[in-house]
Amino acid sequence: MNTPDFSEPFDAAIDSGLEWLSENGEFVFDTLNTGLSGIYKAVLWCIAFPPYYVIALIIGLIGWRVIGSRFAILAGLALGLCALIGLWPETVSTLALVITATVLALVVAIPLGVLAGLAPAFDRVVDPCLDLVQTMPPYIYLLPAIALLGYGPATALLATFIVAVPPALRLTSLGIRMTPREFIELGDASGVTGWQMFFKIRLPFAMPSIMAGVNQSLMMAFGMVVIAGIVGSGGLGESIYGAVRTLDIAKSINAAIAIVILTMILDRLAQAAARSRVGEGQ
Amino acid sequence: MTLTDIRFSPGEFLAPVVDWLNANMHGLFVAISRVVEAVLGFVESALLAPHPYVLIGIVVVAAYFVAQVRVAIFAGLMLAFCLFSGLWVASMQTIALVAVAVLISVAIAFPLGVLAARVKRVDDAFLPILNIMQTVPPWVYLIPAVMLFSLGRVPAIIATIVYGIPPMLRLTTLAFKQLPKDLLELGQASGASPRDILFKIELPTAAPTLLVGLNQCILMSLAMVVLAGLVGAGGLGAEVTRGLSRMEMGLGLRAGLAIVAVALLLDRLSRGALQRHSPSKLV
Repeated sequence: MNTPDFSEPFDAAIDSGLEWLSENGEFVFDTLNTGLSGIYKAVLWCIAFPPYYVIALIIGLIGWRVIGSRFAILAGLALGLCALIGLWPETVSTLALVITATVLALVVAIPLGVLAGLAPAFDRVVDPCLDLVQTMPPYIYLLPAIALLGYGPATALLATFIVAVPPALRLTSLGIRMTPREFIELGDASGVTGWQMFFKIRLPFAMPSIMAGVNQSLMMAFGMVVIAGIVGSGGLGESIYGAVRTLDIAKSINAAIAIVILTMILDRLAQAAARSRVGEGQ
Repeated sequence: MTLTDIRFSPGEFLAPVVDWLNANMHGLFVAISRVVEAVLGFVESALLAPHPYVLIGIVVVAAYFVAQVRVAIFAGLMLAFCLFSGLWVASMQTIALVAVAVLISVAIAFPLGVLAARVKRVDDAFLPILNIMQTVPPWVYLIPAVMLFSLGRVPAIIATIVYGIPPMLRLTTLAFKQLPKDLLELGQASGASPRDILFKIELPTAAPTLLVGLNQCILMSLAMVVLAGLVGAGGLGAEVTRGLSRMEMGLGLRAGLAIVAVALLLDRLSRGALQRHSPSKLV
């Protein structure tokens, strides 16, 4: 096709730009890389240290507390199945990645969401950015991450972080904005301080929405962590990727089963936690 | 440590089943592959046949009529980006995949959604299945498709179709459940036939919610098609994968930006159509 295109100068510019970045920003990216993989390793160590039945038991207990005995037994057995299949190390590292990325995303998203809920001007700036982030297919967030951090868990964490921030931020800001007018006026009339207004009136009303955001962020993070197997994050994503590439049917079925089990357990737990919080809030 | 020595692998049991399917139902899978390839090939060649400038012109004019001027200009810019970034063919392959997948998803999801809205028991049966389908990460959809149809565009499109069904089905059900009762009664009272009620009352009233479903279905399909570049589906996803695996960041980023352009194009077009259909701006 003889249409003009800018691919060659573009590629050259990107290459030299990345070279410049990695030469001059080496320190920053190295620190980021070490920091992220350090956190990941610490979380992984905590989960991978005890044998599988201890973890299955703990998750079963949590399930029993928040959902019920039937779910607890099923969850424990299902996790046991992950171990029996022989994918326990992968399951654990997937879990560690999801937990780390979700916690990091929430630490950033919830305060920003509160800010966006309180300051409409900030919300108008953030909203289009979130739209953009959520419109793009998650797969492409791996590109900048891999260009700057190279292969490994830090890249997976960064990409997962980007995907997990928007839902929590959105729903937090929505929740804060939804405080009924009467209650704000009631607070003003009874002369509460700004802090009391926030913690005693706005936050309890926003809680259901925030918890829904946490659940969505968790599920987005899970989907992304599996995709991130491509960039050598380890875990179930990588074993699925390898198995699909080599058409190893048995192994890919096993990995898929483990992923589905983990997804269901996390989703049910997060949903139930959200619901019980709602009960407390009202 | 006897406990860790016990191994149980469901995959070992299921693999022979898949092998058997591949050996004995080979004809069926080949037939499906042929049909899908033929439809895809047709859409793709239709998109690639005119000169890119002509196609961009057609899209801009169509966007002007479906939506409004701003959407039309935006669509032109996005397509021009795909062209000038040297990824025209890959972009068109991606768009063809998404278009075919969305058409089939809608064709499956729409009747099922209407059925679920009418019959409560069907709705109850669908709900847990849809919940599971929407929780499972997209990667998992590719595995059975790859096992039965090996690598290429066919497994990609099948996984995409399945992935695109839940949002459309959900919102179709919602759209038909939310219909105001008085409008339906008005139709019945004025003696309209069930067909007339469906096409003249129900569809127009449900249109905004249906278009939201279509928008979601399109965006999810695009995400899946891009991901399917990993299993040899071609298109922009394959370019990203190539960029990632060869560490050619320029190519990867260009393809990434082209994906963004395609995503924005499809999103704005379907949203533009939506705003036309809902004067009260429901979204």
